[in-house]
Amino acid sequence: MASWSSRTLSITSWLFVLVIGGFGLYAAIVATGEPLRILVAVTALVVASLVGVAASNSGNQFTTGLAVAAAIPFVLGDGSGVDLPAAIASYGIGVALVWVLRYSRGEKHDDLLPTIVRRFFGYVTYATVYSALRVGPFTELSGEWKDLFPFGVALVAWIAVEVTLRALLVMGKRELSRTYLARALIHDLNVFLGLAMTGALFGELWPELHWWALPTSLLPYSFAHLAFRRFQETKVTYKQTIRALARIPEVSGLGVDGHADRTTELASAIAKEIGLGPVQVEDVEYAGLMHDIGRVSLNEPQILRRGYDDDDIARWSSEIIAESPYLSRVATHVRHQYQPHRKPGEQTDPDVSIVSRIIKVAAAYDWQVHRDRLSPLQALENLHAGAAYQYDPELVASLRRLLESRGVLVPVRA
Amino acid sequence: MPYSLVGLCALVVSFLVASPPSWSYWVPFAALFVLLEFFAVEVNDRMRQSASVMVAMTAGVVLAMEPNSNAMFGLALMAALGPLTPLDFKERRWFQPLANFGQMVLAGAVAGFILDFYLGGVPVTTGSLPRVLLVSAVAAFAFTTVQTVLVRYAVRTVFGRGNLEPWSQMPFLFTGQVAMGLLGGLIGAAFLIAAREAIIVFIVGVYGIGHMSLYAFAQLRDSHIGSIRGFVKTLEAKDMYTRGHTERVAVFAQMIGEELGFSGTQLETVRWAALIHDLGKLAVPTALIRKRGRLDDDEYAEMKSHAHLVEEILAEVDFLQPMVEIASGHHSNFDGSGYGGRGHSDGYPPSLEACIVAVADSFDAMTSARSYRMALSQQYALAELRRHSGGQFHPEVVDAFERALNSAGQRWGAPHVNDEEMARRLAEEPELTLRG
Repeated sequence: MASWSSRTLSITSWLFVLVIGGFGLYAAIVATGEPLRILVAVTALVVASLVGVAASNSGNQFTTGLAVAAAIPFVLGDGSGVDLPAAIASYGIGVALVWVLRYSRGEKHDDLLPTIVRRFFGYVTYATVYSALRVGPFTELSGEWKDLFPFGVALVAWIAVEVTLRALLVMGKRELSRTYLARALIHDLNVFLGLAMTGALFGELWPELHWWALPTSLLPYSFAHLAFRRFQETKVTYKQTIRALARIPEVSGLGVDGHADRTTELASAIAKEIGLGPVQVEDVEYAGLMHDIGRVSLNEPQILRRGYDDDDIARWSSEIIAESPYLSRVATHVRHQYQPHRKPGEQTDPDVSIVSRIIKVAAAYDWQVHRDRLSPLQALENLHAGAAYQYDPELVASLRRLLESRGVLVPVRA
Repeated sequence: MPYSLVGLCALVVSFLVASPPSWSYWVPFAALFVLLEFFAVEVNDRMRQSASVMVAMTAGVVLAMEPNSNAMFGLALMAALGPLTPLDFKERRWFQPLANFGQMVLAGAVAGFILDFYLGGVPVTTGSLPRVLLVSAVAAFAFTTVQTVLVRYAVRTVFGRGNLEPWSQMPFLFTGQVAMGLLGGLIGAAFLIAAREAIIVFIVGVYGIGHMSLYAFAQLRDSHIGSIRGFVKTLEAKDMYTRGHTERVAVFAQMIGEELGFSGTQLETVRWAALIHDLGKLAVPTALIRKRGRLDDDEYAEMKSHAHLVEEILAEVDFLQPMVEIASGHHSNFDGSGYGGRGHSDGYPPSLEACIVAVADSFDAMTSARSYRMALSQQYALAELRRHSGGQFHPEVVDAFERALNSAGQRWGAPHVNDEEMARRLAEEPELTLRG
């Protein structure tokens, strides 16, 4: 699949969108005979999808359309159960319309086909499971505890399908491991849950409150929405600040220009490639940015007289960040960044974390390429040569895969 | 103490006047109320944004509309539990929980009375919802007003007038609280109309997820300023003479800002600017910073570059740009001389904020020891600030600083004042002696 050209991919995506939309239209007109309610559901879905984008931790995109989608099976149907074809049809038409509108607004999406497939099958699973469980004592919506059962099970199924498909369906450049993708989605579950529960709340309130259900369910969510946004904005600002501070040694001419930035980019790419979770990837990013901050000490006359080595720099760096809240959690990783990945006679060195080992590999590569002016291939070969003791061979292999996919490993003729 | 008495009276009166609440509803609501008070999010140093007003209004509407139940005593009693958070006992003065107790009980009783009066006996149907919304907005307004007025009064008596200014974030908070109250009322009515467990699970679930994010946000925001502070502190610690300089400059800048009536964002901006004002200096060779005596032209140029360096370092942090501009102007003089980056233009006075940082910076430079001289006294440093007032320093800022120092009652610098002669001699060395 990875070899598909983007053109084929785009055509296939649109065919899929048309199929979903066509099926939805067919179901809406022929099978259900409920065009008006479907029309309302579709409109709500489209508007909510285009208007409200919730900020998430690991960059997965969720819109308020998810809440509308979650509410649809509650609302479509009557006392005797869910109108499943109508629910799936509404979702199908709605999603197809959303993508057409997005595309016409000039929005591009790298992973169009996998995203649509994932969303569609996730939702079909949710609606089907929910509808199947609304039998026997659970047929009627009463607002009591028992209502939580069909919704809860359907929600778990929905999440399971989403996470599984997120890991399995990957297109284009394979720089992100399946494990990372799945873990990143799980990391964003709070937003997903908040939206789905908002939909369910609306669905539960609808029979008694009718349109009053809208503000009642929207208000708690708008609070959550605001909180998600504030958190993301602060996080972005925080990262910007730490990146800026990381440049102090470079601005003072005590380091190689851009070293911290490039090391961080490469290190986090390695971390994602080998399948670490989003929390660890974040640790790698902060440790990468801060790994050489101790170089600011290099303008002290006594230190220059006395001399220093890599281990001193690691120590100073970790001392500087140990005092800062939030950053202090990576101080140990920074402290051990120059240590070999294994102890003599042993498989590993338990003191040297995976984060430290990644920083060591990424920093050494960048140093050789940008300071010693070696070619990428020569630098990589040096890391391979040091893999017996200095550099973790698995990480060097991961780095090689990354560089290959980026096309920088051009053999240099002497 | 009078506040707690007022609160106690309000509790007794509401107990006598109103019939008790429906306890089966009261207990879970009270538990949630205490929980939310405990997890309240700091808005700024002295103030916490708490979602408890929402729960109070939800409970109030339920207790008022439920037959054989009244909200007044229920809300007053619930509010009495608010100040019981360990946070108050751990971090605040004993006065504050007591004052909180008084104001909360009174606020609860007033809000409960309004809810009882306008919602008691109203049928529980969707037709009543507009009325419920209106009344709960009014009740939330009253709840917040009573709290605000009493808090303001309490702050004025305890801290004196000077500290009132940072509280001008009140209107912002006020709108938030009334909106929360509205939401609470709506949820309360929805609860009564469709009074079922699943609905509560969803509302609490969505709200809880949001609250967790808000909590994480508050922590991260504190880490943000904390990281810069920690960073600067550790870097400064290498040089025993500048140790703590930035931290003190931030304190002085805040004192001046408060005295000049700064508040909210403006005050935060000055504090941030003070924290980053010397960041560029980290990139200047230590030998140069510690050098005794006059700098040659090259050295002076390199020294001057630190005002630009802070801009270069922080160029990509959008949030910090206003602070960077202030920081880069802190060597710019009031009469338009001096040097600096974006914050300086020859012949024009720098911004008021830059003048504040300049005064704070110079004052700390004089009152702390340097490798080439001992610390000067506060009296001498102030005299020096006054002597250059109108030229190097902004006269209003110098006046404000003097007032703030006098009312703070703490003394900085060397304990003795008879170093005038030596200090005068050292002051002859321009820039470096006077400025950190």
